[in-house]
Amino acid sequence: MKKYAIKVDDAACWGCRTCEVACRQELNLPDGVRLIKMEEKGPAMVNGKLDFFYKINLCRHCDEPLCMDACRDGAIYKREDSIVVMDYNKCTGCRLCIDACPYGSIDFDEDGGTAKKCNLCHERVDRGLIPACADNVCLAYCIHFGDPDGIAEKIEKQKLIRQGLSA
Amino acid sequence: MCHGGCGVLVYTKKGKVAKIAGDPGCPINHGTICSKAMASAQLAYHPDRLTHPVRRIGPKGSGKWERISWDQALDTIAGKILEYKESHGAESIVMGYGTGRENEAAIYRLANLLGSPNVLTAGHFCYGPRIATSIITCGSNPIVDYENHPKCIMVWGNNIVISNPDEYKGEGFSSSVEKGAKLIVVDPRLTRMAARADIWLKLRPGTDTALALGMLNVIINEKIYDRDFVENYVHGWEPFVKRVNEYPVDLVEKITWVPAGKIREAARLYATTKPAGIQWGVAIEQQINCADNDRILMALMGITGNIDAPGGQVLFNMPKIRNVGQFGAHKMLPKEQAAKRLGGDRFRLAGYFGIINPKCVWDAILEEKPYPVKMIFLISSNPVMTRANAREVYRALEKVKFLAVSDFFITPTAQLADIVLPAATWLEMDYIGDFWKRHGYILPRRKVIEVGECRPDHEMLNDLAHRIGQGEHWWKNFEGALDYILEPMGITWQDFKKMDYIRGEVKYYKYKEKGFSTPTKKFELYSTMLEKWGYDPLPKYVEPVESPVSTPDLFKDYPFILITGRRIPGYFHTENRQLPWMRGLSRDPIVEIHLDAARNAGIGEGDWVIIESPRGEIRQRAKLFAGMDERIVSAEHAWWFPENGSASHGWADSNINILTDNSYESCDPAMGATSVRTLLCRIKRDKNQGGNS
Repeated sequence: MKKYAIKVDDAACWGCRTCEVACRQELNLPDGVRLIKMEEKGPAMVNGKLDFFYKINLCRHCDEPLCMDACRDGAIYKREDSIVVMDYNKCTGCRLCIDACPYGSIDFDEDGGTAKKCNLCHERVDRGLIPACADNVCLAYCIHFGDPDGIAEKIEKQKLIRQGLSA
Repeated sequence: MCHGGCGVLVYTKKGKVAKIAGDPGCPINHGTICSKAMASAQLAYHPDRLTHPVRRIGPKGSGKWERISWDQALDTIAGKILEYKESHGAESIVMGYGTGRENEAAIYRLANLLGSPNVLTAGHFCYGPRIATSIITCGSNPIVDYENHPKCIMVWGNNIVISNPDEYKGEGFSSSVEKGAKLIVVDPRLTRMAARADIWLKLRPGTDTALALGMLNVIINEKIYDRDFVENYVHGWEPFVKRVNEYPVDLVEKITWVPAGKIREAARLYATTKPAGIQWGVAIEQQINCADNDRILMALMGITGNIDAPGGQVLFNMPKIRNVGQFGAHKMLPKEQAAKRLGGDRFRLAGYFGIINPKCVWDAILEEKPYPVKMIFLISSNPVMTRANAREVYRALEKVKFLAVSDFFITPTAQLADIVLPAATWLEMDYIGDFWKRHGYILPRRKVIEVGECRPDHEMLNDLAHRIGQGEHWWKNFEGALDYILEPMGITWQDFKKMDYIRGEVKYYKYKEKGFSTPTKKFELYSTMLEKWGYDPLPKYVEPVESPVSTPDLFKDYPFILITGRRIPGYFHTENRQLPWMRGLSRDPIVEIHLDAARNAGIGEGDWVIIESPRGEIRQRAKLFAGMDERIVSAEHAWWFPENGSASHGWADSNINILTDNSYESCDPAMGATSVRTLLCRIKRDKNQGGNS
């Protein structure tokens, strides 16, 4: 079975936040609910240099999802392709998954009364498309979707090119 | 709505826009897109959008309107134009536009044919200076050739990854950096670009000319310039070198707060890495040194041999169409009317390019000097929010006899209008996109939807022109104008709309055959045009009118240098604060203050604070930020609160231009640019911690 993952190359991110809006456009999310979010890091001294960067926070689709274990309603399941899906029809809004997620990647929809998380646009993926945020939207091309090993390799390679160590 | 230029795909469902995505086939954005473009459907279908013309029925600012027909609206506006032309001359009627809807050429056409030399734009301090100074220096605006990936990029006063700086999209820049280009960033603030830079030059705001002169000093004295270019293609080398030698690096360090070693390092990296580009932007133009900042950066591009070099900065050819200058009918403005241009005698570089300084208009209304302005027609412009000294702007628009506005919403400026017309967004018009830009592309913008009675500005102006007796110079409908623009290529709009884009012929080093399109045919380091107009032909550094150096006593009372107008994702100047997706990105106006300065003032993260200048005070929310000198604060611009139920929409609460200065002495003497980025302020925690809306 093919595995899927999403990973943001934070070193390349410029903080344009287009991914956040692409997610909204795709899922028509209620105002205030954020499944992918830009967080500012720094300014802080790193190796003697003042650094400042952005970190994009979204569901990691963990190998052993703590949210899934925490859910009493069986609303969260991991697919064979690695995507961790939350079934909003089964969610009762107990918020245990929000407490269990170590990354703060699950949000709550006050109007709908359910938790909400990135389901990796699994309905798009099932039709051969890629998730909306990764679909060639932002200027940095920094959101990568696909085979987990392939992505890691791609990000590593890009790092070398950026540093002038590879063409 | 921004001034566009990205190829996009608009998906519709039952005649309504369902989704907006980037067009992977577009050579400008390669399928990438920004959040503003995606949110355009929220703009088009916003419940508060004005979808029919209205006439004000209460006092100005009362928010009382009644619906009228397009015929009533345009007949009233036409009647006023003819009335004031008769009674006070065409110069008493000011046309105006802001940044955004690509209506510039049509507005100039109407004004020029009317005989009014007064078109009020942002051109005095945004992009206009780049056009004016580049034309007098080298014939056109040198555009960074990202397609051929510069090996070194020097970003100067620009946040290209967040904003949409005219010819550029962030994607080309980002791709070049990802390919390993060396990066120099000149910015008082630590942006992500500055953090990634090989060299970050953290200068004192407003000292850009001095910094560039210091870098030139290094490049010239270390002889790392392009000798062939200097020997054969430059005008005024010797006096220029003499001027540059007045700025040794140690002196420049004192002026700019940038260590001499870093200035040398940056100068060497930029001059010896080929090809290199300078990504410049509006921050250097909103200062007293506006024109000289642009000229001095062009001097850097020129003497390092990067002008018209592949991967450097190219004077791109447009496709062979009728350009904005021709379409704008500037030659139809009678000489005696051009001589009446407001401020034309004072700001002579601006005046030559048909650009005026805004205060000249406010004075003509309030003081009736040198003659009264009776009517203003503002199309996509919100000067109450975006021009310096907002209270004066407000007083002038309150007093002007007749104000018409064309916009998407009843903005704070529109609240003072007599008639407001409902304007179309980019989704609702046929037009030739990027017609005015200098990157060499034009793109067909095809109409997708109609909303209410909203009309594109171009069509509205075409209609109005017929009603004021200009019919012979216009068309039955605006498609005729599009055909007229395209005619030299032998195609019509119907042909062009089936195409993806047209690009002008790409040629490098054109000057080696034809010289530069300047009076001397050379690259004018020494400007013969400025000399003719009575200005210093060589760039020099002038201290900002308000600064720790020029006004040390004032600095004791107002101990921070205030930068205004930091760009943030989602907004385009005053626009988009109604759109839930965009407002969700940034809820409140933010002023950045250094952690130590905040601690001393008892200001905590997220506190509402009062920012005060000698002109007035406003409130924004504090963000504690260690990425700049503790003597600097940086505030956002253009904030109003559409959700605020009052008719004023809180226009003065957080409006940074309440604080900015527009005195003539503070403006660039040639260009009339207002120095909205280099003023002094003080800041304190607000006793009232409630929000603004």
